[in-house]
Amino acid sequence: MKSTSYSDKVLDHFRNPRNVGDLKGKDIAKGSVGNPVCGDLMEFSLKVKDNRIQDIKFKTFGCGSAVATASMITELAKGKTLDEALKITRKDVADELDGLPPVKMHCSNLAADALRDAINNYKEKQKTKDEPEKSSTKPHSEHITGEKEFSGKGVYHAVKDPSSLKDQRVLIQDRGKKSIQMAETIAEHSPRVVLVTKEKSQKVKKTIQTELRKSGVKILFESELKEISGLNSVEKVKIHDLDEDNIYELFVDAVVLI
Amino acid sequence: MTSVYLDYQSSKPVDPQVVQAMEPYFQKIYGNPSSLHSIGDKATDALEQSRSSIADFIQAEPDEIIFASGATEANNLALIGYAERNKSKGKHIIISEIEHISIHNTAKFLMKSGFSVSKVPVNHYGQVSVHKVNERITDDTILISIGYANNEVGTIQPIEEIGRLCRDKEIAFHTDAVAAEGLLPLNVQNDSIDLMSVSSNDIYGPKGLGILYKRKGIKISPQIIGGGQENGLRSGTEDLASIAGMARAAKIVMEERENEVKRLQSYRDQLIKEVLEKIPRSYLNGHPEKRLPNNAHFRFDGIEGESLLLSLNDKGIAVSTGSACSSKTLEPSHTLISMGLLHEEAHGSLELTVGRFTKQSDIDALIKALPEVVERLRKLSPLY
Repeated sequence: MKSTSYSDKVLDHFRNPRNVGDLKGKDIAKGSVGNPVCGDLMEFSLKVKDNRIQDIKFKTFGCGSAVATASMITELAKGKTLDEALKITRKDVADELDGLPPVKMHCSNLAADALRDAINNYKEKQKTKDEPEKSSTKPHSEHITGEKEFSGKGVYHAVKDPSSLKDQRVLIQDRGKKSIQMAETIAEHSPRVVLVTKEKSQKVKKTIQTELRKSGVKILFESELKEISGLNSVEKVKIHDLDEDNIYELFVDAVVLI
Repeated sequence: MTSVYLDYQSSKPVDPQVVQAMEPYFQKIYGNPSSLHSIGDKATDALEQSRSSIADFIQAEPDEIIFASGATEANNLALIGYAERNKSKGKHIIISEIEHISIHNTAKFLMKSGFSVSKVPVNHYGQVSVHKVNERITDDTILISIGYANNEVGTIQPIEEIGRLCRDKEIAFHTDAVAAEGLLPLNVQNDSIDLMSVSSNDIYGPKGLGILYKRKGIKISPQIIGGGQENGLRSGTEDLASIAGMARAAKIVMEERENEVKRLQSYRDQLIKEVLEKIPRSYLNGHPEKRLPNNAHFRFDGIEGESLLLSLNDKGIAVSTGSACSSKTLEPSHTLISMGLLHEEAHGSLELTVGRFTKQSDIDALIKALPEVVERLRKLSPLY
C-alpha cells in the first residue's frame, strides 16, 4: 500500500486534528516519544484530576499518520482514568482510525507509547515531588576515533581565523562556553555549523538556544561524536544519538574540538 | 481533483505530437525489423531513422545507441556490462554519494560479485568535487559513474572536468543524464563521455524506453541474452512505436529547448524568490546558480514532508518530498543527507519541478497555498 493511501478517518484527523497544543501549569504532566532524527516526534501534555485525564493536548512533527494517531488518542484518552488510559494500545488507535498502511504501523504509530510516557511521568511526579533532580553531566574525556588521524586535516583544536572555514560544513563538540561562542563565530562565515551536545534540550538555557538558533547553529541534543572519517581529510562523522541509542552518519568538512 | 502538477521530475506526460508519431507503428508499420521481407524492411527503416535522430540529440553516431527498457536498464547495462567485460583491467568503480538509486543498488550488486566501490562525497550544494574523484582513483579503477545533474536537488555536476580526468587516466566514464536531458545541451564529444543513460519519458516520450549511449571501442557484456538485437548487446524485438515516439520527442527538444528553458527558468526563479520571501525559516536546497532550470527544492524548519505533500494534495497541488515517511524504505533522501543536512531537515523538504505543460497559474497557485500549509503544520509542531 502506498504511504498516502490513508483511510478517510486518518485523513479527517490529519486535516482537522483534535486537541492540538500544550497545557501549562504545575499540575501538568508531559510525555514524548520519538525523535526528529527518525522523522517522528510526539508530545503530550496531561491535566489529571481525581486520577482521571481531564484534559489532554498534543503536538507532532511527522507524517500524516503521526498526526492522525496523536489526534485520535487524545479523543480516546480524555475522560478515562489513568489505568484505563494506560491500557490503550497501538492497535486500538489504528483500529479506531480504520487501519493504517502496513509500513506505518510501527514507525508512525507512537501515540500509545507517548501517552504512556506522559502518564508514567505524572505518576513519577506524584511520588518524587520533593526529590531534587539528579544532574548527569559527565566530563568530556571519551575517545573519538579518527581525532588524531585527521588532526590538521579537518580536525581543529584551535581556530585562529574562522573565515578559513568559509564554505565548509563544521561540527563542533560542546565543551562549554568557549565552544558555544566559537560555534556562533564560525556561523558568521560557514553555511552550516552543527553543535553536538550530550545535554538534553530542557537542560540547556532557552536564551543560549535562541542565540544559537539566531546565528544559524544547529544543535544535536543528547548526542555524542563517536568517529571521524574520510579519505585524506574529514568527510563525515558518526553521531551516537543517546536518546534512541542509534548511530548515524553526518557529512561534514571540519570538526572543531576546543 | 489534483490540477496543479509540479512533480515533473517523477513523471512527465507524453507530448501529443509524440503520441501522433507513435500511432502508425501499432497497426500500419507492424513488422519486425529482423524480418527479411519488405514489411520487415519498413520497420528497419523506421528503427534506423529513429536511432539517427536520437543520436543527433546527444551528438553521437547512430551505431553508438543501444535501445533498452529505460534508464534503469541502461544504468545496469553500463555498470554491470562494463564491469564484467573489463574486470581483467581492474575491479574498482567510483560513483558519487548522490547517484540515483538505480546506480547505488547496481553498485551494491557489483560489490557482491567482488568489485569494490568508492563513493565520492559532495559539498553542501550537492556538488561533486573533481579533486575528490581524483583522490579515489587507484590503478585498479576501471569505471567512474557520476550523474549529469542530481535528480532531487537539481545541482549540475562538473561533467566536462570529470570526463577529462577520466580520459587522462584512461578510465571509462559513465553518466546518468536523466535529470539533465531536455534541459541542458548533451554533447558526448565535448564531455568525453563513454557511456550515457538517457530515458524517453524525461523528454516527454513514452515510458518503458531508454537508451545507453556507448562510445565506439568501449566494450560491454550484454545483460539480456536472446536474438542478438542491438549488436548483440540488448536482445529482444525492438519496441518500434516507443522508439519512434522517443525520436520525435528528441526532435522537439532540439527545436524548442532554448526558448523552453528560458520559460521554465523564469518559473523556477519566481518560485525560489517568493517561497523564500513569504515563508520564514525556509531555505533553498542545492546550488543557487548551477541548478537545473526546472528545479526548486526547499526545506522548512519544524515540519515534515509527507504532511506537507498531503496538505498540498488536498489543495489540488502535486509535489514531491525527500521525507522518509513518503518512501518505501522509510529512509530520508540519501542526497539530502549527503549534502550534510540533519535528518529532521531532510524530512522537511519539498521538491518542485516544472515542465512543458506548466502554466503561470500553476506557479501562482503554489505560491498562494504553500504559506498557509506551512503555517498550519508548524502550529502542530513541537519543533517550531
